[in-house]
This record gives sequence, structure tokens and C-alpha cells, in this order.
Amino acid sequence: MKNKFRKWTPYFLLTPALLYYLFFWIRPVFNAFIGSMTDFDGSFSLRFFIEVFKEPMFSAAFRNSVLFALISVLLQFSIAFMMALLLNKKFKGVNLLLFIALIPMAVPPAAVAILWKTGFSTFGWLNNILITLHIIKTPILWMTAQGFNALLFLILIDTWTVLPSVMIILLAGLQNLNKEYEEAGLIFGATKWQVTKDIVMPILKPTIITAVILRMIAAIQVWMISVMMFGYGRVPFLVERIAYYTDVVPMLDESYKMSLTYSVIVTVIVMLSVVLYLRASKKSKKEVEI
Amino acid sequence: MNQRSLIAKTVFYLFIATMIIAILVPFFLFLSTSVYSEYEVYEFPRKFIPRTSFDLKIDWVDDKYDFSVFSREMDDYELLIQTDDLDKLRRFLKRNLSVQKTNEEIDRDFSISKNGEPLYLTYKKDLLYNYKTFFSITNKAGKAVVNSVIAAGWTILISLFFGSLAGYAIARYKFKGREQLSLILLVVRMFPAVAIAIPMLVYLLKMNFDNTMIGLAIVYSVGNIALTAWITSSIFSGINVELEEASYVFGATKLQTFIKITLPLAVPGLIACSMYAFLAAWNDSITALILSNNNPTLSLVIYKAIGSSSAIQLSAAGAVILIMPALVFTFIIKNYINQLWGEVKL
Repeated sequence: MKNKFRKWTPYFLLTPALLYYLFFWIRPVFNAFIGSMTDFDGSFSLRFFIEVFKEPMFSAAFRNSVLFALISVLLQFSIAFMMALLLNKKFKGVNLLLFIALIPMAVPPAAVAILWKTGFSTFGWLNNILITLHIIKTPILWMTAQGFNALLFLILIDTWTVLPSVMIILLAGLQNLNKEYEEAGLIFGATKWQVTKDIVMPILKPTIITAVILRMIAAIQVWMISVMMFGYGRVPFLVERIAYYTDVVPMLDESYKMSLTYSVIVTVIVMLSVVLYLRASKKSKKEVEI
Repeated sequence: MNQRSLIAKTVFYLFIATMIIAILVPFFLFLSTSVYSEYEVYEFPRKFIPRTSFDLKIDWVDDKYDFSVFSREMDDYELLIQTDDLDKLRRFLKRNLSVQKTNEEIDRDFSISKNGEPLYLTYKKDLLYNYKTFFSITNKAGKAVVNSVIAAGWTILISLFFGSLAGYAIARYKFKGREQLSLILLVVRMFPAVAIAIPMLVYLLKMNFDNTMIGLAIVYSVGNIALTAWITSSIFSGINVELEEASYVFGATKLQTFIKITLPLAVPGLIACSMYAFLAAWNDSITALILSNNNPTLSLVIYKAIGSSSAIQLSAAGAVILIMPALVFTFIIKNYINQLWGEVKL
């Protein structure tokens, strides 16, 4: 009798969370999918997908989101990895450095945008520094950047914010690494680069995958710095379009359907990344375990 | 060899120095922008340490005050305004220099210059002027802070309740579907919040929960329950089962054991979970934009302030207020950061 009870206890404990997910996750997301694929009268129709795809802003938003995700992740990962390799030794003040590195991580997105706006505005501190150092004579109009330059601009801001956190994750992975493997490699005559490429990277793979994919998911959903730096429409992103249909267009049925359809598209892209992540982490033979 | 290691050392410390500068300089200059007065924002090129006071020169010419401020760049006094209107002077002092004086004080101080000699005096700047103004001109800002805290509070309560029960089950029991559950928690952690917020709008409107903080918290909690389960399960598995068994031996019931033994040991972890939940709610703006546009949170107010006001120093003050709790909590939970990202330990 007691055993039977014990068998059911975990399910009993899990029921609240599962019910919560049924009501506030599965149900709304399911309805979003249905809603994006039906017309106002409830009949099946891909009208809103077609309207979204036809929008000139959509292709720009899609391209920007993908470019942003790819470039920023690649850039952040490679710099962070070099930083982590360099910092992976015991030195005085390592704790202070980690403390400082945490600051950008702690700044909420809305504040990040304002922080950089104080720098990049015409009379902002960046132009002030450049003039004080006699690098430029007249202020540069940073905020008029267009197209790819503007995108690059946002990537750099994003990098400032997240680079330290990516670095910390990789550094943590490196510090857990058994030093003996590296030493063995060096003794057998491998160069430092070979050791890094053939010993450190493979062992660190799960950590690297975790860091990269989670960054990618966040990068796909970027929108706020774009809107706060440049306003709507200058550098459109997928989630920026959702914000646009919520914030700028009055909340009509039509705009609601558009944002719903965009949200479904974002979901599909993000979930594809998750599948990619799970595949890759399975390959690296590390089970997702709690 | 010795020379090589010296070069390596130099590169190493240069690298660290670059990193520290790249992080701290923008942050510091942003902080100083938040205490600039309007006058300082347009000083160009300017000094980077904000002023704490202004050196003024008052001349009584043609029955008017010639009001000049000492400019550090020109190294001379710059004439800013000519008037005999005390109200105008008071407003000018307040808006452009962040100096708060009453008409009587201005009259008393300035009238000394009427004897024909130029008057030199120093007025202290109100360093918190932008902060006060942010709350007085953005009429929703005060309410927004309260809103953010309430939304965070609900998120903490919901996430802790649902998440820690699940976490305990995962840590203490072997059951069918345990691995699938881990997978679900992982997927939900990564699920884009917008994709939940938009369809949720319909339900919240039906329940009259739109523009309420509980409505926001319901959405914030979706990801946070998973995170809480994740963190608590690792905490509970770290607590020795033998302690619990000893408690049963002494005749305690399961519930008593949980409340008296297990829970107190888990408190630090639960606090960390609460702070994560707080940060999720505090930092978000897209969900708030979708679900609570008419009753905004602080993050949303700051997002909107940048579009409406041209005064960057006021937005900066608002942003500093937004940063402070986030900064404090991030530093407290930094030891758990790696649990957020995987199982790496620092």
C-alpha cells in the first residue's frame, strides 16, 4: 500500500506544473498555430502567411534576423573563446575581473539601448572621446547609419552586452578541464594550437554547443535595441515586426493576425534551432540530464 | 625564453586592461550622463566628470541681469541669458543647469550685482534632478516601478510553487517519463516568450486580466517554472537523503520532514530561483508591450521614453533606476549562472 503511494507521489508533485503548462503554454501556442492558419470566420486559410511573406519588410526582417544571429554568434563565440583561453590561468585579480565582466550582463535590454544612445548621439560621449583624442575633428553622425552598417552597429552593441557571459561559460568549462590531457598532448610534441584544436575543443564541445545555441536563440529574437536606436523599420527584425504590429498599428483583428503569424514563424525558427541543439548535443554523447 | 614570457605577460595584461576599459568606460560615461544638466549635455567637447556646481557671473547691464556660466572648454564665462524676470531665471537655472533655487534666493543673491560690480558666485547642482524629473514628467513612471515589482512578485510565487514541486519530484523519485520531462523543461526554457504572449492576449482579455500584472506573471512564469525545477532539482539532490530518513526514524511525518529539514537546507537555492524570476519579469519589455501596454512596467516606460523625449539625460536616469536591482541580483546569483546555461560549475 505504502509502495503504491510512493509510486504515485512524483506524478502527484508534477501535476501542478504539467497542468500549468497545458493551460498556459500548450493551449495558447496550439491556438496561435490554428489562428495563424485560419481566416476571421474560422475557415482554413493561409491568407496571413501569404500577407506576411508579401510584406516588403518581411524579407528584410528575416534576412536581418538570420544575419544578426549568424554574425553575432560567430563573432561573440570566437572572441569569447580566445578570451577564455587567455584568461584560463590563475592570476591575481581574476575574481575582480569576473566581477567587472558581469556588469554588462546585468544591464536590462532597455537600459543597454539607452546606455549606447548616450554614446552614439551626435554630442554623445563617443564623439567626445574621439575629439578629445584628436582622432576626428567634427562629430560623426552614428545614428544615421543605414542598411548593413546599421545592422553591424547593433551586432557590436549586442556583443558588448553578452560577450562577458559567453566568456564566463567557456572559462568555466576550461577550468573544469583536466589539465593532464593538455600536458600529455604537449609532451608528445603537439603545438599549443594542436592541443587546443584536437584536445580542448572536443572535450569542451558540450559547453560550446550550449553556449552557442542559447546565444543563437536569443539572437533570433532581438528587436529592442534596433527599435530604441533607430526606430521601427530602419533595421527590421522578425520580433521587431511583432512589436510593430502591437505598438504602432492599432490593435485591430488584422494586425493581431499578422503578429500572430509572425510569432508562429519565430517559434518555428527557434524550435528548429533547439532540435539542432539536441541533435548536436546527442552526438557529443552528453545526455540532457537534470 | 625570458623575453618571450615577458612579451606574453605584457600581451596578457594589455588584453585584460582593454577588456576592463571596454566594459567600464561606457558604463561610467552612461552613469555620468544620467547626472548631466541640459547645459552639460550640449557642451562639446566636454569633460567627462559631471559638474557638481556652476560658477556664475552676474552683470547688471541696462536694467537686466547678464547671466553667464563658466565654461570649462572656453576657459571663460559664456553669456547664456539676459533678463530681469526672476521666474525666467529660476526656470532657466532649473531646466538648463539643474540648479533648484526659489525666486527669493535668486533675487537676494543677484541683486548684489546692482551696485555696478559684476558678481561671481557658485551654485550647487542638484545631482538627482534628472531622477526626480524622470518621475515627475513621465507620469506613469512611479506606478511603473510598483507594477514591475508586483509582476516580479507574482512571477516568483508562481514559479517557486510549481517549479519546486516538480524539482523535488525529479530529484527524489525515479519515475516513467523522467527523461521526457527533462526534455520538456529544456524546450520550454528556450521557447520564445512572444509566441506565448500573443495568443495569451485572447485568454487574458476574456478573464479581464489584460493590463494586469498577474497576467504578465502568468507568461513570465512559463519559462521560469522550468528554470526553477531545474535549479531546485539539483539542490534537492544535493541534500542528503539520510537526513530525511533520520527524521522519519524519530517519528516525523513526510510533511514535517520536508518543512523542518529539507526546505531550510534548500533556502539559498530558492532565493536564487526567486532572483531569476525577478530578473525575468524586471527585464522584459516585449511581453509587457503586448499584454499590458496601458499599464506599463518600468522597462516598458523606459522603452517608450526614448521615443517621446529628446532629453537623453532623463532617459539615462530612468535606465539607471532600471539597472540597479538587476545589477544587485545578478551579482548575488552569479554562482548559479552556470546552472542557467548547463551544468558547468565555476
